[in-house]
Amino acid sequence: MTAARGSRPSYDAALHLLDRQVVDSDGRLVAKVDDVELVRADDGRLLVTGILSGLPALLPRFGPRAGSLAARVHREIRWAAADQEQPLVIGFDLVDEVTSEVRLSCSAEGLLERAQGGRWRLGTLLGTPVHGPGVHRSARVLDARVRGRLGGPGDHVVEALVVGPGRPGALLGYDRRSEPGPWLVGSFVRWLHRHAVVVDLGAGVELDLEAGEVRITGDASVRPLLG
Amino acid sequence: MKRYFAVLLGVLTAIGGFVDIGDLVTNAQVGARFGWSLVWIVVLGVVGICVFAEMSGRIAAVSHRATFDLVRERLGPRMGLLNLVGSMLVTLLTFIAEIGGVALALQLVSSVHHVLLVPFVAVAVWIVLWRAKFSSIENVLGLLGLTLIGFAVALWQLGPDWSEMVATLSPAEKPAGESWATYAFFGVALFGAAMTPYEVFFFSSGGVEERWTSKDIGVMRANVFIGFPLGGVLSVAIAGCAAVVFLPQGIVVESLGQVGLPVAVALGKIGLAVVVLGFFAATFGAACETGLSVGYSLAQYVGFQWGKFVRPTEAAGFHVVLLVVTVLAAGVLLTGVDPIMVTEVSVVFSAIALPLTYFPILVVANDPDYLGEHSNGWFANALGIFYLVVITVVSLAAIPLMVVTSMGQG
Repeated sequence: MTAARGSRPSYDAALHLLDRQVVDSDGRLVAKVDDVELVRADDGRLLVTGILSGLPALLPRFGPRAGSLAARVHREIRWAAADQEQPLVIGFDLVDEVTSEVRLSCSAEGLLERAQGGRWRLGTLLGTPVHGPGVHRSARVLDARVRGRLGGPGDHVVEALVVGPGRPGALLGYDRRSEPGPWLVGSFVRWLHRHAVVVDLGAGVELDLEAGEVRITGDASVRPLLG
Repeated sequence: MKRYFAVLLGVLTAIGGFVDIGDLVTNAQVGARFGWSLVWIVVLGVVGICVFAEMSGRIAAVSHRATFDLVRERLGPRMGLLNLVGSMLVTLLTFIAEIGGVALALQLVSSVHHVLLVPFVAVAVWIVLWRAKFSSIENVLGLLGLTLIGFAVALWQLGPDWSEMVATLSPAEKPAGESWATYAFFGVALFGAAMTPYEVFFFSSGGVEERWTSKDIGVMRANVFIGFPLGGVLSVAIAGCAAVVFLPQGIVVESLGQVGLPVAVALGKIGLAVVVLGFFAATFGAACETGLSVGYSLAQYVGFQWGKFVRPTEAAGFHVVLLVVTVLAAGVLLTGVDPIMVTEVSVVFSAIALPLTYFPILVVANDPDYLGEHSNGWFANALGIFYLVVITVVSLAAIPLMVVTSMGQG
């Protein structure tokens, strides 16, 4: 039942966090994890800093065309608001536990604030094309592997990207376990994603979200996802 | 002792709550036109709903996640939204049909035209959704729905030749006057009526409402594996009554009154009164279930507070949705559209929407992250895969069959 309890040192942000229900300490349903906020630290590390919620976070995730159209329409409807492009944010330090729900350590009353501008979103990173040796030619970012203990102290650092052809979310979680069933669905999904790899962030990997691509050189550590 | 009582109550309400307007109308129509030759579809559909209701109930008990939470988590916001729109339209259509069904049941008693009754029914449904406790809705209407057992008694009283009946169970016994296309169309409709997606939305969300835990899995299974098949027996009895009374005369069922007519023939006025009460309870109960299901699915997609386990002020958005859909349903019925026609359309569209609902349930029911030791065994998976194939075929065949047979007219 544990997706990424404190006991587990790493989790996959898209699979274990995105689209889960946020519940506060009183058990009230707060929102969905519409997107995850990422911040590039000064030392180059990519940190998970918050849970984003609301239409400005959700709409861009409907895909490159439909998503940007929906986001633009939403922006124009609220044209007079100064913060019209920013979703609401919940600081990641308030997340107590992630199981089938994201449990907060406090009451959610009045908790959600407007997010600051200029930060990255997991939703933007997912689906970004990846170019370089060792990856399939139509590979995209499928998931972000995060190291960090939920409910414990310390930063949550994106340490690797799951990369492969296909769409984010299409793995349906069939890549992360040894005994998935039903085998027919499982083996079909695994066959679809036979080219998926894990790329460690660090030397030889350049995240260029402004240009909308991830570039890999020969120095990067690339290993198959399904071993 | 208390536990046995809980199991008994659960099973009884599952039986009484199984039949809705779609089952009533479709089974009677099919019985009148095809006799017993389509009963195997009811059996197929009932086993199917058992398989998936058990999975969704198990997920709800262990992980406290209802079906639409899973749809969004597994299919993502984009496919999830398409799914939400499709499922909500089908459930809304079913909701309209159920409210129309309540009005038709009251028309049988009062002789007041059903359109005039619709506003009162809609207000009553909304008040129940707003004020009544979840368990009262389920228990009172479920138990009253048991009066539909009148159909089983009527069938026994009508005394068909049982050995002849068994001989006509096979599809090869399709009446010669009907084409295979209409046979297949009504098969799809019957399957859609038995496996209506709202049943799992409601069942799994109800599990969260009643705060099931993994200790309740046994009780939940008893409800599903005893209650649903016995509910299915009522469906078959409705079809059987129509087969005995209408098929030899070549009468086509076009109204709710006709659905109850065989009971009047067999048991007289008292019997008819009992099953009309059953019509009322079954459609009113299903109206509450479908109305709640629309609110559940939207809230579970967007993430706001839902449910009757909190005060209405704490789930204000959810209750606004319930109010809006009730007004919308009443508005559609006030145009004078025939509720029986809405029912016929709703069961076919249910059949089309089936894979949207059941595929994510099957995937998550296998996920140890959600279910731990309670994830699917090989038997549940074998059945799940089998039904996934059946559901996909039914879903793809539904629209072509609807066009070819002009909604079963041809």
